[in-house]
Amino acid sequence: MKRTNKKFAPMLLTVAIAIGLVACGDDDGGSSSSEAPSTDAPAGEVRSSAYVPTGDPMDYFTAWEELPAEAGGLDSSPVIDCAPEEGPLKAAWIYVGPINDGGWTQVHDEARMAVQEHFGDAIETTYKELVPEGPQALQTIEDLIADGNTVIFGTSFGFQDQFIEAAAAHPDVCFEFATGYKSAPNVSQFYGAAEDTDFLTGMAAGAASATGKLGLVSSFSFAEVVRGVNAWTLGAQVMNPDATVKVLFIQSWFDPAEERKAAEALLAEGVDVLGQKGVDSPSTGDVAKENGIPWAGYNKDQSANYPEVWLTATAYDWSVYQIPRLQQVLDGTWVAGNYYGTLKDGFVKLGKYGALVSEQTFAAIEARLVELAEAPGSEFTGPIVDNQGNEVLADGVSHTYAELMSMAYLVAGVEGEL
Amino acid sequence: MRSPLRLERRLEQPKRLNWVIPLISLVAALILGAIVLWVTGKNPFEVYQRIFERGFAGRRVFSDSLVSATPLAFTGLCAAVAFRMGLINVGGEGQLYMGSLAATWVGITFDNIPTGLMIVLMAVAGMSCGGLYAGIVGLLRARFGTNEIITSLMMNYLAAILLTYLVYNSFSYWRDPVSGNFPSPRAITQRAEWNTFAIFEIGLPIAFLMAIAMGFIIWFIYKRTRFGFEVGVIADSPKAARYAGIRTSSTIVLVMGLSGAMAGLGGAADVGNFRRYMDPKGLELSGYGYTGIVVAALARLNPIASVFVALLMGGLNNAGYSLRGPDFPSGLVGTLQGLILFSAVAGEILIKYRVKSNSRPSEAVAA
Repeated sequence: MKRTNKKFAPMLLTVAIAIGLVACGDDDGGSSSSEAPSTDAPAGEVRSSAYVPTGDPMDYFTAWEELPAEAGGLDSSPVIDCAPEEGPLKAAWIYVGPINDGGWTQVHDEARMAVQEHFGDAIETTYKELVPEGPQALQTIEDLIADGNTVIFGTSFGFQDQFIEAAAAHPDVCFEFATGYKSAPNVSQFYGAAEDTDFLTGMAAGAASATGKLGLVSSFSFAEVVRGVNAWTLGAQVMNPDATVKVLFIQSWFDPAEERKAAEALLAEGVDVLGQKGVDSPSTGDVAKENGIPWAGYNKDQSANYPEVWLTATAYDWSVYQIPRLQQVLDGTWVAGNYYGTLKDGFVKLGKYGALVSEQTFAAIEARLVELAEAPGSEFTGPIVDNQGNEVLADGVSHTYAELMSMAYLVAGVEGEL
Repeated sequence: MRSPLRLERRLEQPKRLNWVIPLISLVAALILGAIVLWVTGKNPFEVYQRIFERGFAGRRVFSDSLVSATPLAFTGLCAAVAFRMGLINVGGEGQLYMGSLAATWVGITFDNIPTGLMIVLMAVAGMSCGGLYAGIVGLLRARFGTNEIITSLMMNYLAAILLTYLVYNSFSYWRDPVSGNFPSPRAITQRAEWNTFAIFEIGLPIAFLMAIAMGFIIWFIYKRTRFGFEVGVIADSPKAARYAGIRTSSTIVLVMGLSGAMAGLGGAADVGNFRRYMDPKGLELSGYGYTGIVVAALARLNPIASVFVALLMGGLNNAGYSLRGPDFPSGLVGTLQGLILFSAVAGEILIKYRVKSNSRPSEAVAA
């Protein structure tokens, strides 16, 4: 044993290095003032959208038994009674990131708190953050069920297999999964038309660009993300028909250091507006702020934290879906199915418009927003050509829901590949 | 001004200190943790009770802890093997990835052989691939004197990028061919899934038994063989070793290879026993390689102890997930885990040194 002792000093150092490298530093550099090139003058003030959602979220929910097999449909989706005999209903959320990530997970946790506030004593909520995908996720679900939780919300695509596995082992527990596609009698899938708000965000970005060269930091080439990238590009081209969008996929949902690197790489390529889709942290915004470049965010309204560079962003309100669903649990009417929210029911919405967004752009986006609320997905209406030159949609033809869900091409103007 | 206390090197280290001091360290950690918990308004007894209940007590939670402990046992062995010779291999993370890569290939490719043979093949593939990957670091150190801390760390990133590329950026053998729009890893065949034995309703993964066996094998190699003796001499004084005619270069490469083989076996176990596919994102989030360094440190680089410290860490880890929530921030979990490490490291000093009072230097009274 004796000889091992002297090795302890370097080992400690190593542990310190390892821990230091695993944690990601995030220094907030000084920001320079920005001048937004724009087709007309920036409005100079932050405004909110005038649109008020009036739709009923449950209009956008379909039980599995009413769906065709290729859309996850099942022979039957019976009512699952997962409310407790007595005492409050216990519901738990499982997050892949930290609750203060400034994006995806934080927005999910805000929804959890909204749920808690809505139901008061009738429901007791809890969460687990930073849960790694794989065996740990399954153990966390088991642990939550052992604690008496009977409704489990999953918020990361990578948990999907564990949710399906746990659901089979606990048929009397209600599972709610965000952004997946697999179905089971007690597993629902919920998400919404972020492509519509991505399109509107792209409009703001396109209008803010003087050169027509935009950059987009993105996560995975999943259909969900590809849809957003395409919609964002189409939106930019509404305001600036020659706009091109350089996209980088960083292969991670949440990696502030990689997001930052990608944003810097795009800047080096000469883009003059930055956006992001599918990546959860506001690191891209940090790079934009340091360089005085307009920034369109994702997940969350960040107009207060990045006022100099803020344009707008797709923002989610997950509680729009969760509150009526939990009410169904309490009422004993919960069935599993698929939900795809819209602008109209308020599941997706636009963040505040930044001071850089001109009156003219503001008006154009607001007008389009109302149209999209009535006809989700209609931004994908032909003629649309992919970036290989193939026609995807003929004039006047729109994508079906199934086509939207399996989108695997990039529209003309996107510089990047799947 | 003189400090009232000073450290004096112990001339001899009584054997009992080897277990008395770690025990005192653990108690000290619990007391320090209790103070932190009390200050933040928690009841320390309730928290400790929950840690025990959710980490160790009960068949289900103990089975879960075994699952969490198994990869850590292998990465702990990986660190212990190298650190004993003064080779700071922090590349267990990447070596585990490479083991996962090779074992997954075997698990997908051979679909018609008995499970027992499959387990052996996957284990051997994982060990070889992890060992070779670490061997590169050893070779660089032995031939060119490069710093193995830096090279092994850099190779962690390389391995992570490679795995991510194989699953998400290409249509490789490791990507599920039917996962068109949702790139996902390809699962091994059902035959290739490793056994988990149910003993008194506790799930005992076969990989954990392998870890125990490996712990004993490495202990034997280091204590009872000529090779182990040479490693010890090199650790004490590389110069003396060279004078004595020990081939230090090849020993460095061999030790790194053995170290990497342990991590690689961990990767194979992760695929075979638990995950069923090579999962770049899940592995990165788990960080088994880095935690393995902590395991080895707490085990004082004893290979057999590493396996059981891994069980302790696995249980604490699971208890940590069970604790964190709205009223228990994850930072507090990290603080408690940090206190245990801190106390263990502080205790290490007390094994080597004794605390003396400075007030009456002439009398030299032990404190």
